[in-house]
Amino acid sequence: MKTKIALLILFISGNLFAQEQKMSDAEIAAFKQDVNVSAKKIKTLTTDFVQYKHLDFLSKDIETSGKMIFKEPNMLQWQYKKPYNYSIVFKNGKILINDEGKKSAVDVGNSKIFGRINKLIVGSVSGNMFDDKEFTISYFKSKGQNLAKFIPKDATLKKYIKQIELTFDKEEATVVQVKLLESSEDYTRIVLKNKVINAKIDDSLFTN
Amino acid sequence: MQKSTIPFLLINCVLAIVLISCGSVTKNYSPKKLDKTSYKAPYFSNPKTDYVYKTNITVYGNEMSGIFIAKKINDTVHRIVFTTEFGNKLLDFEISEKSFKVNSIVSELDRKILINTLREDFRLLLKKEYLIQEQFEKESDNIYKSADGKRDNYLFLSKKDQKLEKVIHASQTKEKITLLFSSENNIFAEKIQIIHQNIKLKIELNYFKSE
Repeated sequence: MKTKIALLILFISGNLFAQEQKMSDAEIAAFKQDVNVSAKKIKTLTTDFVQYKHLDFLSKDIETSGKMIFKEPNMLQWQYKKPYNYSIVFKNGKILINDEGKKSAVDVGNSKIFGRINKLIVGSVSGNMFDDKEFTISYFKSKGQNLAKFIPKDATLKKYIKQIELTFDKEEATVVQVKLLESSEDYTRIVLKNKVINAKIDDSLFTN
Repeated sequence: MQKSTIPFLLINCVLAIVLISCGSVTKNYSPKKLDKTSYKAPYFSNPKTDYVYKTNITVYGNEMSGIFIAKKINDTVHRIVFTTEFGNKLLDFEISEKSFKVNSIVSELDRKILINTLREDFRLLLKKEYLIQEQFEKESDNIYKSADGKRDNYLFLSKKDQKLEKVIHASQTKEKITLLFSSENNIFAEKIQIIHQNIKLKIELNYFKSE
């Protein structure tokens, strides 16, 4: 029995190991190249998303969902549709919020957190995340997917986010999942799906 | 000597009357014989429930929104977390009637006056056991007075279905905090408002079902 369990553990851990393997230097270079090429092609991007907020003490993740629209160079709308309507637009250094019809605007200059979030989201869809000055980055591969883990170097950012994990589809070299780990092992996982690249998007969409 | 004492007493009496009539939450309600000596508030009491609310905070004209999460983690302690819509944790408290611990708070909110105010609000919101000293009534509600340190809590229970609809936290002279509850089943409050009378602070919680 003991041997069986040991074998089982070995099998499972072996499997886990197989699922997430460190990339070699050559693979990292190729991967970064792929992401940059695919990111450069992105002029606009729309995607549905499901956000899972995981807090260790809760019995269930908090699930919210909606749509994200991005247009070059830095217009972004993040829109929650379920279970509530909340939309946030990042545009020209301004943040426009529409909270169930209640509208407000924030200057990014006054809101460091939002400024960082903007940079992170845009960075993660456009491929501008591979900045060694900002992050300590490690690279992993698994079947069909690549994974990049970013540890912030900046002390302020580190207070909010311990690590960012971007999962890329291997074929398209675009982000399919964003995971933001907080300092206390709690995390936010955002799954992107139904991605449409370079559809025509009018600037007027980025009003709130 | 007598001359100076009488006006003084008179002023005192007038003052006392003014204070009592201004201060008493129950001035318009008629006293009633106690029908219970204690009350257990139903909301936030189930350790199996994740209490998750969309939150809007109005503080001195500024609006803030996010997600309010509460969970009973043992017999006496609740964990309270407030995040942005994106999930970034803004504050994380552990709170009971007697203990209070800040697990984390973002530097923008790390102000003693704010933390103390929220601690008082959440304690009142999560308070379960009330000992009743006096009872009043108005048309639709029974009102129970329960001492809370130097202050009092007034619980408004609907006569129709015994729902806890309102809690007023007041000093001898002034109402300080009002909690308003909307609940369908008297187990769970779908909508809660925390309104401060002495500072311009209002917190509104709307329950949402995760998809």
